[in-house]
Amino acid sequence: MDKEMTVKTEMTRDLVWPGLADPAHDSQRLFRQILGAMSEPGTLTTLAVPAPPQAAPSDALGAALWGVILTLCDLETRVWIAADLDSPPLREALTFHTGARITDDPANADFALLTHESFDPQTPFALGSDTYPDRGTTLLVAVERLDNAGPLSLSGPGIETTRALDIGDSPGCRALMDRLAANRASFPRGLDMIFGCGAQLAAVPRSTRVDSREVN
Amino acid sequence: MDGYNFAYLDEQTKRMIRRALLKAVAIPGYQVPFGGREMPMPYGWGTGGVQLTASILGADDILKVIDQGADDTTNAVSIRHFFQRVAGVETTTATTAADVIQTRHRIPETPLRAGQILVFQVPIPEPLRFIEPSEQETRLMHALEEYGVMHVKLYEDIARYGHIATTYAYPVKVDGRYVMDPSPIPKFDNPKLDGNPALMLFGAGREKRLYAIPPHTRVESLDFEDHPFEIQRWEHSCALCGSDRSYLDEVITDDKGGRMFVCSDTDYCQTRRGEVA
Repeated sequence: MDKEMTVKTEMTRDLVWPGLADPAHDSQRLFRQILGAMSEPGTLTTLAVPAPPQAAPSDALGAALWGVILTLCDLETRVWIAADLDSPPLREALTFHTGARITDDPANADFALLTHESFDPQTPFALGSDTYPDRGTTLLVAVERLDNAGPLSLSGPGIETTRALDIGDSPGCRALMDRLAANRASFPRGLDMIFGCGAQLAAVPRSTRVDSREVN
Repeated sequence: MDGYNFAYLDEQTKRMIRRALLKAVAIPGYQVPFGGREMPMPYGWGTGGVQLTASILGADDILKVIDQGADDTTNAVSIRHFFQRVAGVETTTATTAADVIQTRHRIPETPLRAGQILVFQVPIPEPLRFIEPSEQETRLMHALEEYGVMHVKLYEDIARYGHIATTYAYPVKVDGRYVMDPSPIPKFDNPKLDGNPALMLFGAGREKRLYAIPPHTRVESLDFEDHPFEIQRWEHSCALCGSDRSYLDEVITDDKGGRMFVCSDTDYCQTRRGEVA
Protein backbone atom coordinates (compact mmCIF):
# COMPACT_ATOMS: atom_id res chain seq x y z
CA MET A 1 0.00 0.00 0.00
CA ASP A 2 2.94 2.29 0.55
CA LYS A 3 3.99 4.02 -2.58
CA GLU A 4 7.60 3.89 -3.68
CA MET A 5 9.58 6.95 -2.89
CA THR A 6 12.17 8.28 -5.21
CA VAL A 7 15.40 9.00 -3.46
CA LYS A 8 16.43 12.60 -3.61
CA THR A 9 19.90 13.20 -4.86
CA GLU A 10 21.18 15.90 -2.56
CA MET A 11 24.72 15.03 -1.73
CA THR A 12 26.23 15.39 1.68
CA ARG A 13 29.89 14.63 1.26
CA ASP A 14 30.05 11.65 -1.05
CA LEU A 15 27.17 9.73 0.54
CA VAL A 16 23.48 10.34 -0.03
CA TRP A 17 21.33 10.96 3.00
CA PRO A 18 17.84 10.72 1.56
CA GLY A 19 15.03 13.15 2.36
CA LEU A 20 11.30 12.72 1.87
CA ALA A 21 10.32 12.92 -1.78
CA ASP A 22 6.88 14.35 -1.05
CA PRO A 23 7.23 16.03 2.37
CA ALA A 24 3.54 16.75 3.09
CA HIS A 25 2.20 13.30 2.24
CA ASP A 26 5.21 11.17 3.16
CA SER A 27 5.54 12.75 6.61
CA GLN A 28 1.78 12.33 7.19
CA ARG A 29 1.96 8.63 6.31
CA LEU A 30 5.04 8.11 8.50
CA PHE A 31 3.52 10.07 11.37
CA ARG A 32 0.40 7.90 11.36
CA GLN A 33 2.63 4.82 11.63
CA ILE A 34 4.59 6.40 14.50
CA LEU A 35 1.35 7.46 16.20
CA GLY A 36 0.04 3.92 15.80
CA ALA A 37 3.25 2.50 17.30
CA MET A 38 3.11 4.90 20.25
CA SER A 39 -0.59 4.34 20.94
CA GLU A 40 -0.25 0.54 20.78
CA PRO A 41 3.09 -0.04 22.55
CA GLY A 42 5.20 -2.91 21.32
CA THR A 43 3.45 -3.36 17.98
CA LEU A 44 5.88 -3.64 15.09
CA THR A 45 5.54 -1.52 12.00
CA THR A 46 7.76 -1.17 8.95
CA LEU A 47 8.41 2.31 7.64
CA ALA A 48 8.79 2.70 3.89
CA VAL A 49 11.63 5.21 3.89
CA PRO A 50 14.91 5.29 2.01
CA ALA A 51 17.76 4.08 4.20
CA PRO A 52 20.69 6.26 5.23
CA PRO A 53 24.02 5.42 3.58
CA GLN A 54 25.40 1.95 4.28
CA ALA A 55 28.57 3.15 5.96
CA ALA A 56 29.61 3.28 9.59
CA PRO A 57 28.41 4.81 11.77
CA SER A 58 25.24 5.87 9.98
CA ASP A 59 24.15 2.35 9.04
CA ALA A 60 23.63 1.65 12.74
CA LEU A 61 20.87 4.28 12.82
CA GLY A 62 18.64 2.45 10.35
CA ALA A 63 15.95 3.60 7.97
CA ALA A 64 13.09 3.65 10.49
CA LEU A 65 14.74 6.07 12.92
CA TRP A 66 15.92 8.28 10.05
CA GLY A 67 12.28 8.38 8.94
CA VAL A 68 11.20 9.40 12.46
CA ILE A 69 13.76 12.22 12.41
CA LEU A 70 12.58 13.47 9.00
CA THR A 71 8.95 13.34 10.20
CA LEU A 72 9.26 14.98 13.61
CA CYS A 73 12.35 17.21 13.70
CA ASP A 74 12.53 20.81 12.56
CA LEU A 75 14.14 24.08 13.60
CA GLU A 76 12.11 24.05 16.84
CA THR A 77 13.68 20.81 18.08
CA ARG A 78 16.98 20.05 19.72
CA VAL A 79 18.65 16.73 19.02
CA TRP A 80 21.32 14.99 21.10
CA ILE A 81 23.49 12.42 19.35
CA ALA A 82 25.34 9.63 21.16
CA ALA A 83 29.07 9.42 20.47
CA ASP A 84 28.85 6.08 18.61
CA LEU A 85 26.40 7.49 16.05
CA ASP A 86 27.86 10.95 15.77
CA SER A 87 29.58 11.85 12.53
CA PRO A 88 29.92 15.00 10.44
CA PRO A 89 27.78 13.55 7.60
CA LEU A 90 24.92 12.76 10.04
CA ARG A 91 25.11 16.24 11.53
CA GLU A 92 25.12 17.82 8.08
CA ALA A 93 22.23 15.68 6.87
CA LEU A 94 20.19 16.38 10.00
CA THR A 95 20.72 20.11 9.68
CA PHE A 96 20.18 20.09 5.93
CA HIS A 97 16.93 18.11 5.89
CA THR A 98 15.28 19.27 9.13
CA GLY A 99 17.02 22.42 10.36
CA ALA A 100 17.10 20.86 13.85
CA ARG A 101 19.60 22.21 16.35
CA ILE A 102 22.15 19.76 17.70
CA THR A 103 22.81 19.95 21.41
CA ASP A 104 25.50 18.49 23.64
CA ASP A 105 23.25 18.64 26.69
CA PRO A 106 20.95 15.58 26.99
CA ALA A 107 18.80 17.39 29.57
CA ASN A 108 18.03 19.99 26.91
CA ALA A 109 17.18 17.59 24.08
CA ASP A 110 13.76 16.95 22.58
CA PHE A 111 15.09 13.87 20.80
CA ALA A 112 18.13 11.73 21.52
CA LEU A 113 19.73 9.43 18.96
CA LEU A 114 21.52 6.42 20.36
CA THR A 115 22.11 2.72 19.98
CA HIS A 116 21.58 -0.03 22.54
CA GLU A 117 25.36 -0.21 22.84
CA SER A 118 25.70 3.44 23.81
CA PHE A 119 22.72 3.55 26.16
CA ASP A 120 23.79 4.61 29.62
CA PRO A 121 21.07 4.75 32.30
CA GLN A 122 23.01 7.56 33.96
CA THR A 123 22.68 9.97 31.02
CA PRO A 124 20.60 12.86 32.38
CA PHE A 125 17.88 13.04 29.72
CA ALA A 126 14.94 15.36 30.43
CA LEU A 127 12.08 13.55 32.17
CA GLY A 128 9.72 16.53 32.17
CA SER A 129 8.47 18.12 35.36
CA ASP A 130 5.53 17.09 37.54
CA THR A 131 3.51 20.01 36.16
CA TYR A 132 4.78 19.69 32.56
CA PRO A 133 5.67 15.99 32.12
CA ASP A 134 5.47 16.38 28.33
CA ARG A 135 8.76 18.32 28.34
CA GLY A 136 10.87 15.18 28.29
CA THR A 137 13.35 13.71 25.84
CA THR A 138 12.08 11.13 23.37
CA LEU A 139 14.76 8.47 22.88
CA LEU A 140 15.27 7.09 19.38
CA VAL A 141 17.23 3.90 19.93
CA ALA A 142 18.67 1.48 17.39
CA VAL A 143 18.30 -1.99 18.92
CA GLU A 144 19.53 -5.50 18.09
CA ARG A 145 16.19 -6.85 16.89
CA LEU A 146 12.46 -6.30 17.19
CA ASP A 147 10.22 -9.26 17.80
CA ASN A 148 6.94 -9.94 19.59
CA ALA A 149 8.33 -12.82 21.64
CA GLY A 150 10.50 -13.39 24.67
CA PRO A 151 10.18 -13.04 28.40
CA LEU A 152 9.33 -9.34 28.62
CA SER A 153 5.67 -8.53 28.69
CA LEU A 154 4.13 -5.11 28.22
CA SER A 155 0.73 -4.03 29.54
CA GLY A 156 -1.14 -0.80 30.15
CA PRO A 157 -2.76 1.80 27.86
CA GLY A 158 -2.82 0.71 24.22
CA ILE A 159 -2.52 -2.99 25.07
CA GLU A 160 -5.65 -5.10 25.44
CA THR A 161 -4.08 -7.77 27.64
CA THR A 162 -0.31 -8.15 27.34
CA ARG A 163 2.18 -7.95 24.48
CA ALA A 164 5.65 -9.49 24.36
CA LEU A 165 8.53 -7.42 23.06
CA ASP A 166 12.11 -8.53 22.45
CA ILE A 167 14.70 -5.89 21.57
CA GLY A 168 17.82 -8.03 22.03
CA ASP A 169 20.06 -9.75 24.56
CA SER A 170 22.91 -7.27 24.87
CA PRO A 171 23.56 -5.57 28.23
CA GLY A 172 22.40 -2.30 26.63
CA CYS A 173 19.08 -3.80 25.55
CA ARG A 174 18.52 -5.16 29.04
CA ALA A 175 19.39 -1.77 30.52
CA LEU A 176 16.88 -0.12 28.16
CA MET A 177 14.04 -2.39 29.28
CA ASP A 178 15.05 -1.90 32.93
CA ARG A 179 14.93 1.84 32.39
CA LEU A 180 11.45 1.54 30.86
CA ALA A 181 10.29 -0.56 33.80
CA ALA A 182 11.56 2.20 36.12
CA ASN A 183 9.29 4.74 34.38
CA ARG A 184 6.36 3.62 36.54
CA ALA A 185 8.01 4.89 39.70
CA SER A 186 8.40 8.43 38.40
CA PHE A 187 5.19 8.65 36.35
CA PRO A 188 4.04 11.07 34.93
CA ARG A 189 7.71 12.03 34.52
CA GLY A 190 9.63 9.56 32.41
CA LEU A 191 11.28 8.60 29.14
CA ASP A 192 9.41 7.61 25.99
CA MET A 193 11.34 5.40 23.62
CA ILE A 194 11.06 4.66 19.92
CA PHE A 195 13.04 1.59 18.86
CA GLY A 196 14.34 1.05 15.36
CA CYS A 197 15.92 -1.97 13.73
CA GLY A 198 16.50 -1.42 10.03
CA ALA A 199 13.15 -0.28 8.63
CA GLN A 200 11.23 -1.80 11.57
CA LEU A 201 9.92 0.33 14.38
CA ALA A 202 8.24 -0.09 17.77
CA ALA A 203 7.57 2.33 20.61
CA VAL A 204 7.24 2.03 24.37
CA PRO A 205 5.94 5.17 26.11
CA ARG A 206 6.27 5.87 29.83
CA SER A 207 2.69 4.71 30.49
CA THR A 208 3.60 1.08 29.69
CA ARG A 209 4.21 -1.45 32.47
CA VAL A 210 7.18 -3.69 31.70
CA ASP A 211 7.17 -7.04 33.49
CA SER A 212 9.45 -10.01 33.30
CA ARG A 213 7.45 -13.14 32.62
CA GLU A 214 10.13 -15.43 33.98
CA VAL A 215 8.81 -17.39 36.93
CA ASN A 216 11.07 -16.97 39.92
CA MET B 1 -6.98 23.20 -3.16
CA ASP B 2 -4.78 25.74 -4.96
CA GLY B 3 -3.08 28.21 -2.66
CA TYR B 4 -3.21 25.96 0.40
CA ASN B 5 -0.88 23.34 1.74
CA PHE B 6 -2.54 19.92 1.98
CA ALA B 7 -5.10 20.04 4.84
CA TYR B 8 -4.69 23.83 5.28
CA LEU B 9 -2.00 23.89 8.01
CA ASP B 10 1.64 24.46 7.07
CA GLU B 11 4.04 21.56 7.62
CA GLN B 12 5.83 23.10 10.58
CA THR B 13 2.56 23.60 12.46
CA LYS B 14 1.60 20.00 11.73
CA ARG B 15 4.97 18.76 13.06
CA MET B 16 4.51 20.79 16.26
CA ILE B 17 1.03 19.30 16.77
CA ARG B 18 2.28 15.81 15.88
CA ARG B 19 5.06 15.99 18.50
CA ALA B 20 2.51 17.15 21.07
CA LEU B 21 0.16 14.31 20.10
CA LEU B 22 2.87 11.70 20.72
CA LYS B 23 3.43 13.11 24.22
CA ALA B 24 -0.34 13.17 24.81
CA VAL B 25 -0.55 9.48 23.89
CA ALA B 26 2.45 8.69 26.12
CA ILE B 27 0.77 10.39 29.13
CA PRO B 28 -2.91 9.44 28.77
CA GLY B 29 -5.31 12.12 30.01
CA TYR B 30 -2.62 14.79 30.51
CA GLN B 31 -3.27 18.10 28.74
CA VAL B 32 -0.34 19.00 26.47
CA PRO B 33 -0.04 22.71 25.60
CA PHE B 34 0.37 23.38 21.88
CA GLY B 35 0.80 26.46 19.71
CA GLY B 36 -2.78 26.68 18.48
CA ARG B 37 -3.15 28.56 15.22
CA GLU B 38 -5.92 30.84 14.10
CA MET B 39 -8.25 28.88 11.87
CA PRO B 40 -10.69 30.24 9.31
CA MET B 41 -13.58 29.69 11.70
CA PRO B 42 -14.43 31.18 15.09
CA TYR B 43 -13.42 29.65 18.43
CA GLY B 44 -16.21 27.41 19.62
CA TRP B 45 -16.65 25.92 16.15
CA GLY B 46 -14.14 23.17 16.66
CA THR B 47 -10.83 24.90 15.89
CA GLY B 48 -8.96 22.51 18.21
CA GLY B 49 -10.47 19.41 16.62
CA VAL B 50 -9.88 20.82 13.14
CA GLN B 51 -6.17 21.40 13.85
CA LEU B 52 -5.77 17.84 15.14
CA THR B 53 -7.65 16.40 12.17
CA ALA B 54 -5.53 18.49 9.77
CA SER B 55 -2.35 17.14 11.39
CA ILE B 56 -3.27 13.46 11.14
CA LEU B 57 -5.36 13.38 7.95
CA GLY B 58 -3.92 11.72 4.84
CA ALA B 59 -5.01 11.83 1.22
CA ASP B 60 -6.27 8.22 1.43
CA ASP B 61 -8.31 8.71 4.61
CA ILE B 62 -12.09 8.71 4.65
CA LEU B 63 -13.42 11.41 6.96
CA LYS B 64 -16.68 11.59 8.90
CA VAL B 65 -17.74 14.67 10.87
CA ILE B 66 -20.58 14.70 13.39
CA ASP B 67 -22.17 17.41 15.50
CA GLN B 68 -24.15 16.07 18.46
CA GLY B 69 -24.32 12.74 16.63
CA ALA B 70 -25.70 14.19 13.41
CA ASP B 71 -23.91 14.33 10.05
CA ASP B 72 -26.23 16.98 8.64
CA THR B 73 -26.09 19.84 11.14
CA THR B 74 -24.32 23.17 10.51
CA ASN B 75 -21.03 22.51 12.32
CA ALA B 76 -20.61 19.04 10.81
CA VAL B 77 -21.43 20.19 7.28
CA SER B 78 -19.10 23.19 7.40
CA ILE B 79 -16.13 21.22 8.77
CA ARG B 80 -16.73 18.40 6.28
CA HIS B 81 -16.77 20.90 3.42
CA PHE B 82 -13.65 22.56 4.82
CA PHE B 83 -11.66 19.32 4.57
CA GLN B 84 -13.15 18.40 1.20
CA ARG B 85 -11.87 21.72 -0.03
CA VAL B 86 -8.43 21.97 1.59
CA ALA B 87 -7.49 18.26 1.60
CA GLY B 88 -9.65 16.81 -1.14
CA VAL B 89 -10.37 13.77 1.03
CA GLU B 90 -13.26 11.41 0.60
CA THR B 91 -16.00 11.86 3.19
CA THR B 92 -18.67 9.56 4.50
CA THR B 93 -21.54 9.52 6.96
CA ALA B 94 -21.09 5.80 7.73
CA THR B 95 -19.28 5.24 11.04
CA THR B 96 -17.95 1.86 9.85
CA ALA B 97 -16.45 3.31 6.65
CA ALA B 98 -14.57 6.20 8.30
CA ASP B 99 -10.85 6.21 9.15
CA VAL B 100 -10.99 9.53 11.00
CA ILE B 101 -14.12 10.81 12.75
CA GLN B 102 -14.22 14.36 14.05
CA THR B 103 -16.95 14.78 16.62
CA ARG B 104 -18.65 17.52 18.54
CA HIS B 105 -20.09 16.17 21.79
CA ARG B 106 -21.00 12.56 20.92
CA ILE B 107 -19.40 9.14 20.45
CA PRO B 108 -21.10 7.16 17.67
CA GLU B 109 -23.47 4.37 18.77
CA THR B 110 -21.86 1.91 16.33
CA PRO B 111 -18.83 0.41 18.12
CA LEU B 112 -15.53 1.76 16.79
CA ARG B 113 -12.84 -0.58 15.51
CA ALA B 114 -9.07 -0.75 15.89
CA GLY B 115 -7.31 1.68 13.56
CA GLN B 116 -10.02 4.32 13.65
CA ILE B 117 -9.24 7.72 15.19
CA LEU B 118 -11.90 9.77 16.95
CA VAL B 119 -11.12 13.50 17.25
CA PHE B 120 -13.12 15.42 19.87
CA GLN B 121 -13.77 19.15 19.83
CA VAL B 122 -13.21 20.48 23.34
CA PRO B 123 -14.38 23.89 24.65
CA ILE B 124 -12.81 23.82 28.13
CA PRO B 125 -10.23 21.05 28.58
CA GLU B 126 -9.61 21.56 32.30
CA PRO B 127 -12.09 19.56 34.43
CA LEU B 128 -11.03 21.49 37.55
CA ARG B 129 -11.49 24.94 35.96
CA PHE B 130 -14.92 25.67 37.47
CA ILE B 131 -13.54 24.84 40.89
CA GLU B 132 -10.13 26.51 40.55
CA PRO B 133 -9.76 29.35 38.04
CA SER B 134 -5.95 29.52 38.22
CA GLU B 135 -4.08 27.46 35.59
CA GLN B 136 -1.02 27.34 37.84
CA GLU B 137 -3.11 25.85 40.65
CA THR B 138 -4.90 23.28 38.48
CA ARG B 139 -1.54 22.14 37.03
CA LEU B 140 -0.25 21.66 40.56
CA MET B 141 -3.43 19.79 41.51
CA HIS B 142 -2.91 17.41 38.56
CA ALA B 143 0.76 16.99 39.50
CA LEU B 144 -0.16 16.08 43.08
CA GLU B 145 -3.22 14.01 42.10
CA GLU B 146 -5.18 16.41 44.29
CA TYR B 147 -8.62 15.47 43.00
CA GLY B 148 -10.66 15.57 46.20
CA VAL B 149 -12.48 18.73 45.14
CA MET B 150 -13.89 16.90 42.11
CA HIS B 151 -15.61 14.44 44.42
CA VAL B 152 -16.81 17.33 46.59
CA LYS B 153 -18.46 18.85 43.51
CA LEU B 154 -20.23 15.57 42.74
CA TYR B 155 -21.17 15.21 46.41
CA GLU B 156 -22.74 18.68 46.38
CA ASP B 157 -25.04 17.38 43.63
CA ILE B 158 -26.08 14.51 45.87
CA ALA B 159 -26.64 16.85 48.84
CA ARG B 160 -28.79 19.16 46.73
CA TYR B 161 -30.65 16.82 44.36
CA GLY B 162 -30.28 13.38 45.91
CA HIS B 163 -28.27 12.10 42.96
CA ILE B 164 -25.29 13.14 40.82
CA ALA B 165 -26.89 15.72 38.53
CA THR B 166 -23.91 16.18 36.19
CA THR B 167 -25.18 14.89 32.85
CA TYR B 168 -22.51 15.91 30.35
CA ALA B 169 -18.74 16.57 30.48
CA TYR B 170 -18.80 14.03 33.31
CA PRO B 171 -15.25 13.77 34.71
CA VAL B 172 -13.28 10.56 34.19
CA LYS B 173 -10.02 9.14 35.51
CA VAL B 174 -7.70 7.81 32.81
CA ASP B 175 -5.56 4.74 33.56
CA GLY B 176 -5.92 5.42 37.29
CA ARG B 177 -4.00 8.68 37.14
CA TYR B 178 -5.25 11.85 35.41
CA VAL B 179 -8.74 13.24 35.89
CA MET B 180 -9.90 14.37 32.46
CA ASP B 181 -12.80 16.24 30.90
CA PRO B 182 -14.17 13.94 28.18
CA SER B 183 -15.54 17.08 26.41
CA PRO B 184 -19.28 17.82 26.69
CA ILE B 185 -20.39 14.35 25.59
CA PRO B 186 -23.46 13.09 27.48
CA LYS B 187 -22.48 10.83 30.36
CA PHE B 188 -24.37 8.20 28.34
CA ASP B 189 -21.21 7.99 26.19
CA ASN B 190 -18.73 7.71 29.09
CA PRO B 191 -18.73 3.88 29.18
CA LYS B 192 -17.65 3.90 25.50
CA LEU B 193 -14.39 5.63 26.52
CA ASP B 194 -13.33 2.62 28.56
CA GLY B 195 -11.27 0.03 26.69
CA ASN B 196 -12.26 1.41 23.30
CA PRO B 197 -10.19 -0.17 20.49
CA ALA B 198 -10.00 3.20 18.65
CA LEU B 199 -7.54 5.99 19.42
CA MET B 200 -9.26 9.06 20.90
CA LEU B 201 -7.72 12.52 20.55
CA PHE B 202 -9.04 15.72 22.11
CA GLY B 203 -8.30 19.24 20.87
CA ALA B 204 -9.16 22.58 22.48
CA GLY B 205 -8.40 25.46 20.10
CA ARG B 206 -9.08 28.49 22.28
CA GLU B 207 -7.32 26.98 25.30
CA LYS B 208 -4.54 25.49 23.12
CA ARG B 209 -4.48 22.11 24.81
CA LEU B 210 -4.63 18.60 23.41
CA TYR B 211 -4.89 15.23 25.12
CA ALA B 212 -5.47 11.60 24.28
CA ILE B 213 -6.81 8.23 25.33
CA PRO B 214 -4.91 5.38 23.62
CA PRO B 215 -6.85 2.26 22.58
CA HIS B 216 -7.73 -0.27 25.31
CA THR B 217 -7.19 2.22 28.13
CA ARG B 218 -8.97 2.00 31.47
CA VAL B 219 -11.29 5.00 31.82
CA GLU B 220 -13.46 5.26 34.94
CA SER B 221 -16.21 7.78 35.56
CA LEU B 222 -15.85 9.29 39.04
CA ASP B 223 -18.52 8.16 41.50
CA PHE B 224 -19.17 6.97 45.06
CA GLU B 225 -19.68 3.45 46.39
CA ASP B 226 -23.21 4.31 47.52
CA HIS B 227 -23.93 6.50 44.46
CA PRO B 228 -22.44 4.54 41.56
CA PHE B 229 -22.11 6.10 38.12
CA GLU B 230 -25.25 5.71 36.03
CA ILE B 231 -26.09 6.68 32.46
CA GLN B 232 -29.26 8.35 31.24
CA ARG B 233 -32.27 6.16 30.46
CA TRP B 234 -35.46 6.91 28.59
CA GLU B 235 -38.97 5.56 28.87
CA HIS B 236 -39.24 6.02 25.10
CA SER B 237 -37.75 4.29 22.11
CA CYS B 238 -36.60 6.16 19.00
CA ALA B 239 -39.73 7.26 17.09
CA LEU B 240 -38.00 6.60 13.77
CA CYS B 241 -35.97 3.39 14.17
CA GLY B 242 -37.38 2.02 17.42
CA SER B 243 -33.99 1.67 19.13
CA ASP B 244 -34.24 1.40 22.91
CA ARG B 245 -30.49 1.60 23.54
CA SER B 246 -29.34 4.78 21.80
CA TYR B 247 -29.04 8.36 23.04
CA LEU B 248 -32.32 10.14 22.29
CA ASP B 249 -32.99 13.80 21.44
CA GLU B 250 -36.36 15.31 22.31
CA VAL B 251 -37.81 17.08 19.26
CA ILE B 252 -40.72 19.54 19.53
CA THR B 253 -43.09 18.88 16.65
CA ASP B 254 -45.76 21.61 17.04
CA ASP B 255 -46.80 24.43 19.36
CA LYS B 256 -49.38 22.33 21.18
CA GLY B 257 -46.95 20.29 23.25
CA GLY B 258 -46.37 17.62 20.64
CA ARG B 259 -42.93 16.00 20.80
CA MET B 260 -41.02 12.94 19.76
CA PHE B 261 -37.81 11.22 20.77
CA VAL B 262 -35.31 10.32 18.05
CA CYS B 263 -31.75 8.97 17.94
CA SER B 264 -29.11 11.69 18.18
CA ASP B 265 -26.81 9.52 15.99
CA THR B 266 -28.25 9.97 12.49
CA ASP B 267 -26.04 7.32 10.84
CA TYR B 268 -27.06 4.70 13.44
CA CYS B 269 -30.73 5.60 13.05
CA GLN B 270 -30.67 5.58 9.24
CA THR B 271 -28.74 2.32 9.10
CA ARG B 272 -31.34 0.73 11.36
CA ARG B 273 -34.12 2.02 9.12
CA GLY B 274 -32.34 0.47 6.15
CA GLU B 275 -32.04 3.83 4.47
CA VAL B 276 -28.31 4.02 4.21
CA ALA B 277 -27.31 5.20 0.77
